[in-house]
Amino acid sequence: MKKAIPILIMAVTFIACQKEPDLNELSSDLIVYTNYDKNRNFGKYSTYAIPDSILLLDDKAKPTYYSADDPRTVAIVQAINSEMKTRGYIRTESTADADLGIQVSYVKDTNTIVSYATNNPYWWYGYDYYWPGSYWSPYWWGWGPSYAYPISYTYTIGSLIIEIVALEDANAATKKIPVIWTAYMAGILSSNQMNLNRTVAGIYQAFEQSPYILATVQ
Amino acid sequence: MKNTIKALSIMLLITSMVIPSTTNAQILKGGYFNVDWQFNAPVSNDFANVASGWGMNFEGGYYIIPQMSLGLYISYHTNNKYIGEQVLHLNSTESLYADQQHSLYQVPFGMAARWRFIEEGMWEPYIGVKLGAMYARMESNTQVYTYYDKTWGFNVQPELGLTIYPMRMTRTGLHIAIYYNYSTNKSKVLTYNIDGYNNIGFHVGLSF
Repeated sequence: MKKAIPILIMAVTFIACQKEPDLNELSSDLIVYTNYDKNRNFGKYSTYAIPDSILLLDDKAKPTYYSADDPRTVAIVQAINSEMKTRGYIRTESTADADLGIQVSYVKDTNTIVSYATNNPYWWYGYDYYWPGSYWSPYWWGWGPSYAYPISYTYTIGSLIIEIVALEDANAATKKIPVIWTAYMAGILSSNQMNLNRTVAGIYQAFEQSPYILATVQ
Repeated sequence: MKNTIKALSIMLLITSMVIPSTTNAQILKGGYFNVDWQFNAPVSNDFANVASGWGMNFEGGYYIIPQMSLGLYISYHTNNKYIGEQVLHLNSTESLYADQQHSLYQVPFGMAARWRFIEEGMWEPYIGVKLGAMYARMESNTQVYTYYDKTWGFNVQPELGLTIYPMRMTRTGLHIAIYYNYSTNKSKVLTYNIDGYNNIGFHVGLSF
């Protein structure tokens, strides 16, 4: 039986030998996930507002943003505006005049975000700086977003989140602003920096796989 | 391919250490032990149906009567497949765009029975059947996430094989076999479902 020992050792050695696929063969770093509220008629809205800054999700004591003149903000907002215009929506300068609001966030620190996702699918609870209702209207202090669908993703560092909120349907009784579309894209980092080309490609892809975003019912 | 060469090299290295000590006798008198490289092709699913040689098979048995043996087996295999960029509609509202590397990892093990048609000859053709369980890991890899499902099921594996003993004085020989492998595992990853694993393949290796 002693003679079998080398063979048994060899067997044990090979047991856990899954041949991992070569991820270098993947031609795209990008993944784009979208979800929406199927009970909303996107055709009933005609106008939207979009901030000229991008919220950075991190563990800072106060919210930080990519400012309006940051090339990342410029490229991202341009791409979103282009898609919204193509789909028949008109941008308004004032949030008070807009049916929809578009909030763009960039994940700089996953600890902040994931910790909220672990115990509650509505992961922004407790993260005071995540697009408060007061951003959209000074009368909406203490209001927050409401989702018709759970956010089940674990966000990674360097991912971008775009959400469309229905300002027109904000509910005074519940103090909730419905989030009707979520786009999440990951894999947009290159050398620890946001790859702008890939990010913009991700935005176009997010809209492409969301044909229901149309200003008028087709 | 590099991994297969590496596995074969290790196998040959270790068997080269074993063979000298087994030239005059079997590891277990009246028994056998097979160490095989395995080539496997999943059939009846298109999740990862690219045939590959990323697997090994180990089997040992004891002849309870001159023709029939009972023993144990374990093998493992990986089949991978690249899926280009596409949009997966996960349900009525969720969509996911990515390209993927699919991977199926299967580890069947259990009891093996074998009936040989010629005893103690230079050529020993046989038929066999293996019954047991199978662990399977079905996974889809993107650059960012890995989605996977680990399942268990029952496994059955009929086999037709031949052991060749080229040297009269030793029971160390060559082993070849073809097999069909079915398991009852039910796996689901993203929009992909596998209800029962079917494989065909062959073993090539050494017998002691």
